[in-house]
Amino acid sequence: MKKVPIAPRPGWQAFAESVGFAFHTIDNEPYWDESAYYEFSLAQIEDDLETPTEELHQMALDLVPEILQSEEKLQQLGIPEAFWDAVRYSWQNGEPHLYGRMDFAYDGKGPAKLLELNYDTPTSLYETGFFQWVWLEDQQMRGALPSGADQFNSLQDKLEQAFAQLPLPQPFYFSSVTDSQEDKGTVDYLMDIALQAGIDSRYIALEQLGDIEGQLVDLDGFPIEGLFKLYPWEFMIQEEFSSTLISSNTRFVEPLWKILLSNKGILPLLWQKHQGHPNLLPAFFDDGKQPLSAGWVRKPLFSREGANVELLTHSGERIFQPGPYDDGAYIRQAFAPLPRFGDSYTLIGSWVVGDLAAGIGVREDNSLITKDSSRFLPHIILG
Amino acid sequence: MQHPHFKRSRKAAMLFMVPAATLLLSGCGSEKTVEAQVFNTPDECAAFYNPPAECQAAFADAQALHPQVAPRYANKQECEVDFGVGRCETAPEQGQQQAQGSFFMPMMMGFLAGQMLNRGGMAAPQQQNTAAAAGGRNPVPNQPLYKSRDDQSTFRTATNTPVASQPGSTQIRPSAVQPKPASLARRGGFGAQAQQRAAAAPRQTTMGG
Repeated sequence: MKKVPIAPRPGWQAFAESVGFAFHTIDNEPYWDESAYYEFSLAQIEDDLETPTEELHQMALDLVPEILQSEEKLQQLGIPEAFWDAVRYSWQNGEPHLYGRMDFAYDGKGPAKLLELNYDTPTSLYETGFFQWVWLEDQQMRGALPSGADQFNSLQDKLEQAFAQLPLPQPFYFSSVTDSQEDKGTVDYLMDIALQAGIDSRYIALEQLGDIEGQLVDLDGFPIEGLFKLYPWEFMIQEEFSSTLISSNTRFVEPLWKILLSNKGILPLLWQKHQGHPNLLPAFFDDGKQPLSAGWVRKPLFSREGANVELLTHSGERIFQPGPYDDGAYIRQAFAPLPRFGDSYTLIGSWVVGDLAAGIGVREDNSLITKDSSRFLPHIILG
Repeated sequence: MQHPHFKRSRKAAMLFMVPAATLLLSGCGSEKTVEAQVFNTPDECAAFYNPPAECQAAFADAQALHPQVAPRYANKQECEVDFGVGRCETAPEQGQQQAQGSFFMPMMMGFLAGQMLNRGGMAAPQQQNTAAAAGGRNPVPNQPLYKSRDDQSTFRTATNTPVASQPGSTQIRPSAVQPKPASLARRGGFGAQAQQRAAAAPRQTTMGG
């Protein structure tokens, strides 16, 4: 695994905008960064990332029935009791899941360490599945990269297969919050793939979802029987229409049971069951009241983009990322520093579609906590 | 060409990356009209050589649909401005709206019969209802009709589409007369957390992670 500088494709910004990647630059800061790429060996990809991803995914799925049978675990995960039955039902009813992303600290040597599961609303999908794929093809055509170079990125193929095979009601609706251009870009990409798979796909802004007597409805008042929502379950179950989630005849993607796995509380539960597993870090539930000791990281059960994460390095340096997720319980996880390449700290996002590993995206940040200001860099496999 | 065991997608192509719904929903411009019938009452329908039982059934369909599709008004005056004094009635309560008080809707002034079969003696029986006769669903649902205050001769659907100015047969584009629920859906029940959290962390650009 190494970072290699490369000349950006001239005019790539205009191309990006022409294919819906309007968020390649966010608040004048680069988000898509093709001034360098990461190079992995095939063995690194297959042995250190692909295989562990599928194994960890299976370990996480195996925990779901155990959690559902344990009121203590449901409480530890912060699931409101009013939703226990609905979560159980969504699992027992076999409601299918589409995708997820796990984040790893990995430096090319030794086992990748699982930092967290983003199993409800994972993003950077478009950048991974489409834009870095096109980047590789372009750079090969330009002769800037060898024709034998490959990429661990079967994301679009696997998503298209999933949409073709999942039992989804049609029309199938896709939803995201109005104010997020990035989320709309992700949803547009998913809709595009679903259309290619033959799904009658329609968009509705999350705020426009209607409720008629407990049934979710579209703008014309017709029932929504299938809905992909790029909006976290833990928010939805707190909001005005939360009871509609239970009463509505709607198949959700991701299903409600994913609230158990997108939860940082899954990390201590994985550790309890598989203590010492090479890809797991020691992790425990935490009430947030004791000061953190060196070599530990504290994360809210629910948070995104690194918000409200507190970190003490092994030498005791404290890094804290403020944010809006200070209202819940926490977990404490052993600190596994992200590898440093130049001035940047590098995180691997490893995708799962259905139950299969489907590719990686590499993000860099200037700090040990990967945030929304991080940059996305493409990668290749060589040798 | 890629080697088959490569670890990346065979293709990563975008078909549209434009609002997909607009592509799907844009109608075709050459929709054929079908024949349907318009009446003030079931008796009038029967007088046009239709089977009385079918007239009653179509009228009952329209009556049942009436409270679901009739336009709703927050007060009687606004309703009467559109439909005429004495031509509005209280709408039945639906679901969650009790707290908001009662609503008003225009009275049903006639009905559209799209599914009349076996019409004895009437003209043009050959082409009409061929879809229904072939086992398909007739594309024109039975439904209530209304008359606006300033145009008492024209029968209109609940969505204000004029369909006829006299009882009897008429030609209709099915897509123009598909009933839509007029229920006042509650909206805005999701997204509050996004707004709160965005206010606390203005740089945050995604609800994903």
